[in-house]
Amino acid sequence: MAHTHSVIYKVDYYVSFCLSHLFLYLSLKNLINFIIKYFSWFVFIFYVTISCMLLFQNNPYQHHVYLTSANRVCSAVYGVFNNVTSYFHLHEINEDLHNRNALLEMEVINLRNQLNSVKLMLPDSTAAMAASEHGFDFILAHVISNSISQPQNYITINRGSLDGIAPEMGVIDQNGVVGIVNVVGPHSARVISLLNPQFRLSCKVKGSDFFGSLVWDGKDAYHAVLEEMPKHVKFAKGDTIVTSGYSSVFPEGLIVGTIVEQIKDKNDNFFSLRIALSTDFTQLSTVRTIKNNRQAEIMALDENNGKGKEAEK
Amino acid sequence: MIKTILQFLLLFIILTLLQVVCNHICIFGVAIPIVYIYFLIRLPINLSVNWCMTLAFLLGLTIDIFSNTQGMNALACVVTAALRRPVFSLYFAREDDLANPIPSIQTLGFGIYIKYLLSMVLIFCILLFAIQAFTLHNLQVTMMRIAASTILSTLLIFGIDSLDTKREKRL
Repeated sequence: MAHTHSVIYKVDYYVSFCLSHLFLYLSLKNLINFIIKYFSWFVFIFYVTISCMLLFQNNPYQHHVYLTSANRVCSAVYGVFNNVTSYFHLHEINEDLHNRNALLEMEVINLRNQLNSVKLMLPDSTAAMAASEHGFDFILAHVISNSISQPQNYITINRGSLDGIAPEMGVIDQNGVVGIVNVVGPHSARVISLLNPQFRLSCKVKGSDFFGSLVWDGKDAYHAVLEEMPKHVKFAKGDTIVTSGYSSVFPEGLIVGTIVEQIKDKNDNFFSLRIALSTDFTQLSTVRTIKNNRQAEIMALDENNGKGKEAEK
Repeated sequence: MIKTILQFLLLFIILTLLQVVCNHICIFGVAIPIVYIYFLIRLPINLSVNWCMTLAFLLGLTIDIFSNTQGMNALACVVTAALRRPVFSLYFAREDDLANPIPSIQTLGFGIYIKYLLSMVLIFCILLFAIQAFTLHNLQVTMMRIAASTILSTLLIFGIDSLDTKREKRL
């Protein structure tokens, strides 16, 4: 009796073992069938996810150099195209340079006159103080690619880390501010153009000390909006807008543009100004990258400040 | 087979370079020619949709890298590639009757081919400019851009296509 009982138990066990395997097998088969049947959907979702991850990675400083135009292949291709197209606007650019040169020469003469008149009043010993260390160096670069029609525009230049370019350097041309260096490859770098809503530039009306931030509104390549101007600032149409010098990127007083009209700000406590940009982004050719010799010093100071504040908390 | 693959590889490279040039063109501030979508239009119609999406993703990513748009073109390309079969079957139901699976004027006839081309370009332009509008919402400008770019791109692609088919006739 006991013997048959154990046999039944064994058979029972065996059947249940087989059944469970069968079910597992069936469910696996179902799963595999499901995957095969809807494989295209998985592929589709996979690619869409990757694209969206790239698309919504908002901070442009986190972009990898291989995924930007600062990589080697892109800069080589753009270099070839640039060899051809760089001649197209030479006439206008030459004109701009002549104008700028004349302006600077005038300024040199004026300053020299002023210096001479001041020198007469001062004793000789203080004259040496005038020749103090200058804070900024220029690195010349050629624009090899430039866009103006995208919602977020970038510029590629043909100088990279080997030429001394580093992220967060300011870029200007003969007419005004162009942008800020963002991703750097060995022989090329990508610049965030002023025509990019990610880039805000601290600016002020020339001659006053009130500053606002300049941002592109995406409408066209010739205008931008100076936001957050205090309501009591006096200005006139055609006034010059210059950089405020409150960041370590751009020195104070670089020309940005001129005032076109006043427009309504999102915030009622401020007003906005529509600015005609002095830089012609449709024909950029040679730009200057500003190397701030004191930037490391200022950054270190800022960091120390931050640490001090944290310690106070 | 290998000849076809090489042909499409060449088409890929040529269209990418052409698009790099076209990126700098912007007529009246609204019309941007988009020519690389021709690659997706020309892919053999019996190619599996997985391959089609993979190629579309690679193509879009290449254009993204060149024009610093980060996933914008890749996303639009993948969705367009997924919609290719349904769009094609709208105009041409009998896929098996095709002698040559590569869509062209000779295989489809002028009317059907034009309709297929225009729908694909329109879908792509709507997607691309809708994605752009995420970052920059200005409905009027977006609509203008979609319309103008579709017309310009279709004309350009038609031009490229006539060059391509001429070469094929000669061969």
